[in-house]
Amino acid sequence: MAGVTLRGVRKSFGRIEVIHGVDLEVADGEFVAFVGPSGCGKSTLLRLIAGLEEPSAGDLSIGGQRVNDRPPAARGIAMVFQSYALYPHMTAYDNMAFGLTLSRTDKGTIAERVRAAARLLQIEDLLDRKPRDLSGGQRQRVAIGRAIVREPQVFLFDEPLSNLDAGLRVQMRLEIAKLKADLRATMIYVTHDQVEAMTLADRIVVLNAGRVEQAGTPLELYHRPRNRFVAGFIGSPAMNFLDVVSEGRADGSVRVWLPGGVPLDVAVDGAAPPAGTPLTLGVRPEHVGLADGGAGLLATILAVERLGGETHCHAALEDGQRLLVRLDGDRPVAAGERLRLNLRGETAHLFGADGQRL
Amino acid sequence: MSGLPHSSLERQRRRAAWLFLLPMLVVLAGVAGWPLFRTVFFSFTDATLATLDGFQGVGLDNYLWLVRDPVWWRAVWNTLVFTVVSVGIETALGLGIALILNAHLPGRGLLRAAVLIPWAIPTVVSAQMWGWMFHDLYGVVNAILMGLGLIAEPRAWTADPDLALPVVIAVDVWKSTPFMALLILAALQMLPRDLYEAARVDGVHPVKVFVRITLPLIRPALMVAVLFRTLDALRVFDLMYVLTGNSRSTMSMSVYARQYLIDFQDVGYGSAAATLLVLVLAAATVLAVTLGRVRVDAGR
Amino acid sequence: MGLRRIAFALVVLGIVVWAVFPFAWAIVTSLKAGSALFTVEAWPSQPSLANYAAIFKEQPFGRNILNSLMAASAVVALSLGLAVLAAYALGRVRFRGRGLLLFVVLGVSMFPQVAVLSGLFELVRWLGLYNRIGSLVLSYLIFTLPFTVWVLTTFMRELPKELEEAAMVDGAGPFVIVTRVFLPLMGPALAATGLLAFIAAWNEFLFALTFTLTDDARTVPVAIALMSGASQYELPWGQIMAASVVVTVPLIGLVLLFQRRIVSGLTAGAVKG
Ligand SMILES: Nc1ncnc2c1ncn2[C@@H]1O[C@H](COP(=O)(O)OP(=O)(O)O)[C@@H](O)[C@H]1O
Ligand SMILES: [Mg+2]
Repeated sequence: MAGVTLRGVRKSFGRIEVIHGVDLEVADGEFVAFVGPSGCGKSTLLRLIAGLEEPSAGDLSIGGQRVNDRPPAARGIAMVFQSYALYPHMTAYDNMAFGLTLSRTDKGTIAERVRAAARLLQIEDLLDRKPRDLSGGQRQRVAIGRAIVREPQVFLFDEPLSNLDAGLRVQMRLEIAKLKADLRATMIYVTHDQVEAMTLADRIVVLNAGRVEQAGTPLELYHRPRNRFVAGFIGSPAMNFLDVVSEGRADGSVRVWLPGGVPLDVAVDGAAPPAGTPLTLGVRPEHVGLADGGAGLLATILAVERLGGETHCHAALEDGQRLLVRLDGDRPVAAGERLRLNLRGETAHLFGADGQRL
Repeated sequence: MSGLPHSSLERQRRRAAWLFLLPMLVVLAGVAGWPLFRTVFFSFTDATLATLDGFQGVGLDNYLWLVRDPVWWRAVWNTLVFTVVSVGIETALGLGIALILNAHLPGRGLLRAAVLIPWAIPTVVSAQMWGWMFHDLYGVVNAILMGLGLIAEPRAWTADPDLALPVVIAVDVWKSTPFMALLILAALQMLPRDLYEAARVDGVHPVKVFVRITLPLIRPALMVAVLFRTLDALRVFDLMYVLTGNSRSTMSMSVYARQYLIDFQDVGYGSAAATLLVLVLAAATVLAVTLGRVRVDAGR
Repeated sequence: MGLRRIAFALVVLGIVVWAVFPFAWAIVTSLKAGSALFTVEAWPSQPSLANYAAIFKEQPFGRNILNSLMAASAVVALSLGLAVLAAYALGRVRFRGRGLLLFVVLGVSMFPQVAVLSGLFELVRWLGLYNRIGSLVLSYLIFTLPFTVWVLTTFMRELPKELEEAAMVDGAGPFVIVTRVFLPLMGPALAATGLLAFIAAWNEFLFALTFTLTDDARTVPVAIALMSGASQYELPWGQIMAASVVVTVPLIGLVLLFQRRIVSGLTAGAVKG
């Protein structure tokens, strides 16, 4: 087992730089997820670690060894591809055994390891089948099995579940969680699905346009997003952002005025901006409550989406700013109604004009 | 790439690439590069087939003789006429057949299979088959035309200097139109269907759809097909040789060059003719690529 | 509407007849023996296989077929072997000069054959291959090799990148990737390309005419072109047609059988819109 370290890693394709200097430390045995919007460089970063791309600058080490100049097979990694990338002309068994065959492992060991992986993944009955005779989920298992058989120090997954339908995805997600517990290997998992990242990862790395926006545990990212991008990306439904104006400091927090003249005190770490500075207030839909009394933020309901277990209300504040409110499933609300909303300073976030958290 | 760190993987792949290319490049150099070089070289000598290793340089003499030989110019003329006329007819006919094949109508499978037959038949066999059909005494063409009253007496199709070249062109059209049709069909089948449905909904006349939509869209593929056929036609040999032998009325540049090279054993002079043919082909390619803006997809 | 359909059907029928008639006529002629040859009739009153017997008895046609088969098979095997490796390099590895190489390969396939005739003649004689099949294998490479390289390159390019990367992670080097991962997937492509190259080699005339001398060394097209009868002025048309039918029927069969493959192979080789 081994950790992975990236130091100032950059990658350009031609003249376009797509990874702008990434520093990252993945501990031994840690499950780290890379998330970010499509095209932000998640796959590229993973492929750099795998050795399928060469970094334009920076250092990469696995298990304390610099691996920049090592081919993929000599890095102690295994990779599971989004499209599975199974060899179509080989049986599931041969697919899993191929790497070991190439390294001239003896037949007995190969059989042993393949069977063990197959048992773990419950695909023992499928070993004689060709990929075309397997379902999507089964193919994914074989692809994971191929990785396990290599007994790598680091597992790399590139959106392994995104080709599966929703139900299967949830099931496979649970299995990967189980695998993580069983194998105790270092795993790096790329996904654009933040639910996968939140549920599976010990630590999440949020990428945007080739930069690390924030790395931290799922709850750290949820509760203390470092900037507006992370705040908006983590959490579903996404955080609401309102334009507000700073009123100045009030003992450890900043007071801002909400539309309709409602004040809110939000705790901040840094220095308070001078009064009159325009700020962005972030509130998650689940943190917007209904006010009991006559006080609170006045809002008109534009649309109601009933999901059964919860209700999403799209509302407009007095000055026209939009806000999504998440209520429980049976709450009797209807479009056109007016509500009084209640925001709490502890669950609100303030961001400066540069997008950074205050 | 200099200045960047090279991963061993990329280096290994590039090295392997060159290693993989090496055998092919050696073979091509041996069977194409070197012989071509020798041909050009011989064209400045008085080499004969018997004295391939004892010859003397004669400078541009071979070329000077060549440009003064009316038979050579006849061969150039024949080749150009053959190329322009046959490729022109093949393109038009091929386009028509491709459009029929592309329209989802009954009999399509039969038509495609039938059209593949001329393509599958060796050129020499086609030439012999047609040669027999055009036979002056026992040919079926004469019999049919006379039966229909179109001609009064049998014609010597392949011997008559005025008829021989048209006959050669007719046989080439028969043989090569299918190739054209298949290439155009492939281009047609890549066109988006909804485009046509939109046009049909808008009530655009089919002819207008063809001229305004179809033709511009398949133009690049069409141009490549025309270029390929043109280059093929410019070097034509088998058809003329089998149908009419070394007859001057149909002799192509290739037939002319080979006649001197092999039959007359005058390697120097024949090589000069062959070299000129290469230049004509190169010129045609350059012309097509620049004027016709033909884009041959040579590796993205 | 009905009238248009009929007109259309007539056009299609006309094209079919035009395409098929010459070959049908060759079959009819090949069944006419003796003086029946010189009467134009749609079906011989006394069909006879005498011409077929004659080409194998009076002419070394069996030997010619064998020559053609050997030359074409050898050159196709050689071309595919060389081309698969080259196609991997050209289709999947980025390196400087790749575009130029592809262009050269395409250029060679467009070469007029007479342009290399004297140089090849010298080479053939130097290697002692004159009047032997080896001379044909050597010279046919000039068109089969560029063609197979070009077509296989376009096929190779279509194979998924992730498959190759998975193999790299598994520790496969380029040679193993080509031979153990890609090659097994290219069966259809190899078949189509090989078939087209085979047909081209089978049909070749100029080199075969130039590099062979004796009847026994000839290939099928040369034999058919030069077939002569008892006297110089009397061509044995019946035998020529019989020979034509014999070599063409298998070709037509193959082509019709592999229609789709051939069309895709041809277009991969020639046109990329
Ligand atoms: N081989 C390549 N050549 C050129 N650009 C590439 C290549 N691979 C990826 N890119 C570019 O790099 C950026 C990041 O891509 P990728 O890492 O695949 O994003 P993600 O996996 O996050 O969706 C994209 O803009 C993509 O277009
Ligand atoms: Mg990706």
